[in-house]
Amino acid sequence: MSAPSRWKYFADGIIKENPVLILMIGLCPTLATSVSARDALGMAAAVTFVLVGSNVVVSLIRKVVPGSVRIPIFIIIISTFVTIIDYVLQAYQPALYRVLGVFVPLIVVNCIILGRAEAFAYGHGVFDSLLDALGKSAGYALVMLVMGSIREIFAAGTWFGVAVTPAWFRSAPVLFMIFPPGAFFLIGILKGIVNRLTAGKV
Amino acid sequence: MLQSKTWIVVSLVLTCVIAAVALSQVYAVTKPVIDGQAADALKASLSEVLPGAADFVELEPGVVWSAKDAAGDRVGIVFKVTPRGYGGPITVVVGVDTTGRIAGLGVGSDMKETPGLGQKAREAWFRDQFRGKSETEVALKRDNGTLDAISAATITSRAVTNGVREGMADYIHYLTSK
Repeated sequence: MSAPSRWKYFADGIIKENPVLILMIGLCPTLATSVSARDALGMAAAVTFVLVGSNVVVSLIRKVVPGSVRIPIFIIIISTFVTIIDYVLQAYQPALYRVLGVFVPLIVVNCIILGRAEAFAYGHGVFDSLLDALGKSAGYALVMLVMGSIREIFAAGTWFGVAVTPAWFRSAPVLFMIFPPGAFFLIGILKGIVNRLTAGKV
Repeated sequence: MLQSKTWIVVSLVLTCVIAAVALSQVYAVTKPVIDGQAADALKASLSEVLPGAADFVELEPGVVWSAKDAAGDRVGIVFKVTPRGYGGPITVVVGVDTTGRIAGLGVGSDMKETPGLGQKAREAWFRDQFRGKSETEVALKRDNGTLDAISAATITSRAVTNGVREGMADYIHYLTSK
């Protein structure tokens, strides 16, 4: 396979096959953790690690995994990675763990991971699966950053914890945006914008 | 071979065994590190709320500590309360100086309050209000006290203030007892 078409495995994940806005998977943790820019990026970093790990391992063992029990095997692999990350962060990166702690177990139920194992890594080689994992992670991180930034700016008047709005706005911010309805509202608008921009092309 | 019944069973068992071995190895390596960090974090959280304290003696296990400075003189007590907030218990560590006034307040990061609302109980402006207050002054303004609540998070604010006040009532006798 030539280099440009391999690059596609990475690049597709960012817009054309963006996990959240096009594939519409992994929405629950996306809405739940995008309350601030920092939390959103932390979640995206943890997802990247697990997605890369699970895609690579699933791709490595894909030829010996029986089709009828592949889903339980994928789930075991994913939850093992998540638990390892949980222990390792807690032990060696306590500062990062304090920020990420609540999100790490949530990754098990993030169906982007299982979705990519099933739809891509089970049928592709290791290097392609790695590219796919990195691309989907980049697309996920992009959406998380946009949602986390918008919600934090509206609901707290800050961005990455730094005040970016006038004091009068911060004293009475749009708290609605931090609640679940605000998340649904925002993802609806983002999906609308993406549909408009990609109309007829995807 | 891939579709044989035996291999289906064997592959599942094998996956579980490998995962279990990997996890137990990681657990064995990280457990002591995690425990050490929990002990360090406890000491740090105690020192944070009572400036000048260097050594802590446990008076009630996991609840009340007597604090001494580097010279061995008594500088106050530190106690821990876990009032029920909006999303579950909130760990609050309170330092009390020898005059019976609050020297500092720490709110644990493990609470499950609403991000962006109740989580603001960890912010300095909220915690710093407690400094210098005595037991009777610790209450929200709307409960005829002196403290500002976090906007849109009254349940959290009230849980923390009431927890601190009740803790003061329960443990302040340790200041004079020994």
